[in-house]
Amino acid sequence: MQITISLRGTLTKYLNGDKERVLQVPEHCTCDEALKTIGMDYREIKRFGFVAVNGKRVMIHDRLSEGDQLKAYSSISGG
Amino acid sequence: MTMLGYKNCVLRVDLTMKSAVPEPLRMDWAEKYIGSKGLAIKYLYEELAPGTDALGPENKLLFTNGPFTGTPVPCSGKLSVAAKSPATGTILDCSIGGHAGLQIKYAGYDALIFEGKLNEPGYVLIEDDKIQFKDASELWGQGSHVVEGILAKKYGHGYSILSIGPAGENLVTMACINSDYYRQAGRGGIGAVMGSKNLKAIVVKGTGSVEVPNIIEATNRIIEILQADTLQEDNTFVFDCGTTAFLEACNDGGILPVNNFQDATDERWTEYNGDVLLQGKKGKRGCGSCGLGCGNFLQIGDAVCEGPEYESIAVAGPNAGVRDPEAILKYNQVADDMGLDTISSGDVIIWAMEMTEKGIHDFGIRFGDHVKMLEYLQLMAKREGIGADLALGVRACAAKYGGEDFAMHVKGLEFPQYEPRGSWGMSLAYAVSDRGACHMRAYAPNVEVFAAEMPPYTAEGKGQMVYDLGEFNAVKFSLCICDFWATLNYETMAELMTIVTGREWTVAEMGEVGRRVINIARAFNQREGFNRKDDTIPKRLVNDALKSGAAAGQKIPQEAFEDMLNQYYEVLGWDENGMMPESLICQL
Repeated sequence: MQITISLRGTLTKYLNGDKERVLQVPEHCTCDEALKTIGMDYREIKRFGFVAVNGKRVMIHDRLSEGDQLKAYSSISGG
Repeated sequence: MTMLGYKNCVLRVDLTMKSAVPEPLRMDWAEKYIGSKGLAIKYLYEELAPGTDALGPENKLLFTNGPFTGTPVPCSGKLSVAAKSPATGTILDCSIGGHAGLQIKYAGYDALIFEGKLNEPGYVLIEDDKIQFKDASELWGQGSHVVEGILAKKYGHGYSILSIGPAGENLVTMACINSDYYRQAGRGGIGAVMGSKNLKAIVVKGTGSVEVPNIIEATNRIIEILQADTLQEDNTFVFDCGTTAFLEACNDGGILPVNNFQDATDERWTEYNGDVLLQGKKGKRGCGSCGLGCGNFLQIGDAVCEGPEYESIAVAGPNAGVRDPEAILKYNQVADDMGLDTISSGDVIIWAMEMTEKGIHDFGIRFGDHVKMLEYLQLMAKREGIGADLALGVRACAAKYGGEDFAMHVKGLEFPQYEPRGSWGMSLAYAVSDRGACHMRAYAPNVEVFAAEMPPYTAEGKGQMVYDLGEFNAVKFSLCICDFWATLNYETMAELMTIVTGREWTVAEMGEVGRRVINIARAFNQREGFNRKDDTIPKRLVNDALKSGAAAGQKIPQEAFEDMLNQYYEVLGWDENGMMPESLICQL
């Protein structure tokens, strides 16, 4: 299925500096699995933040659907 | 006993007698509380009698720096300002950026303690050990920006200025203290304490230095830490966009408040996002000894301001039903000049908007009316017309007019702009914060919303989580280090303390300082009569579910909140009423 991955903060290096890319991922894969298709394993990123789907924060192991926009943030600190 | 890094000197200023006397810093207290936040609270705990009138001459106004202030330690250029709060009756410590902390240190002082009250409006000029009491009759009534401009022109380069606007003069309990034009000690009415002393400004310049054990070794190691840690990309994002970066994350996280916390996501967030605001960027600013330089100087149309920061954007933007970037910037500019905390003054205005729209009481302002917001700011600062009521704060206004269920405050301090129904730990953090609703004591969203695996909508584990966050911040702010050094940890703190003071500090000691600071703040409040009955949250969080966004449907069950509160008390060894036992108090 086709989804869009958008990256924020320090994560944009995983798309060579781009903020967004449309790509094919396995049907109903999880957010974690989708991010691995661009070489991103959140467990190995010390200051990984969170993921949102279609503008709503979700858990990293939640599943995606066709056409979803998956956004991944690096950690945010301060107030 | 002395320690390097410190000046080992406190300047005690008696405003009534117009005298200033240096005295040794209580180094036994500095050993336990380090400086800045912790040290200021310790002094106030020891020196203020219970029941002190926060706006009376017997209240004390403290400016405290830390052992790193004036050294090249990154992000160490802030200054704590502390007193008993006239807004809440609790302990109050605020943090202000700029350069005043450094100048106070270079002038030879770890702390300034202002006591009593000037007979007439005045300001105090500090040039090393030369202290002068100056007439401020021509400055009284002027906005902070005007005052700083006059004093900067009069004294020239190298002087730092701390001043209040009309709100502080008029004892508005949401008045702030300004420095470097756009930096504020914002919350809890600290500016009203300064105003109650007829103290319009403090002008300070120092020509001294800070002694460390080995300047070559210290400088080399600090530069290594700066390059290897502070200047990494996890921290430097604030140079590019400041806290505007939080808007999108908070919106996606379901914690961006809309229309006085009636919802927590805004489909129009792109209209005032950082990308839009920063199109007006005219320059950069940073505090002394800062490697990150978060300040963005913006101009949009007629509005000019450094910032706006996330808090001001959210309260004057979506939470007020406003999406116009120029209007948001102008709100920030006017509030700063009037000497008003943007958070509390905004919260009382948006509460009035909801009151009007619900037909409970007509305050003559509705969501989206950014023009009237500016007018109301000025009326509040001057306590004129409708501003006389609004200046009392949302708690007092709700007690008078109703709408208490959506009066968003804890202990009388209005809510920061993080919606707790999308971050349950934040409700606990607000409830147990030492100065009322504050996001700087334990920043829960960082762990439970801006995180991949932590569930935000549960009470489980939140007592320990809020304690851990609070302990860390209590140490960080007692070291007088800025929040934006996000990768800072206890190991680095202990190493820097060792480098600067010449005494070996351990990681374990850092944590002990944090717990001690939380406890002494609680002991101060407990002595003033605060306990579990005051660690509460507004009914809106319990009764009304959010309508949209990531946290749609969420509200915080009362039993879940009470569970979190019990957990927190247990972690600290307080009893079920939130009272600290004598066995802990006697260790402070």
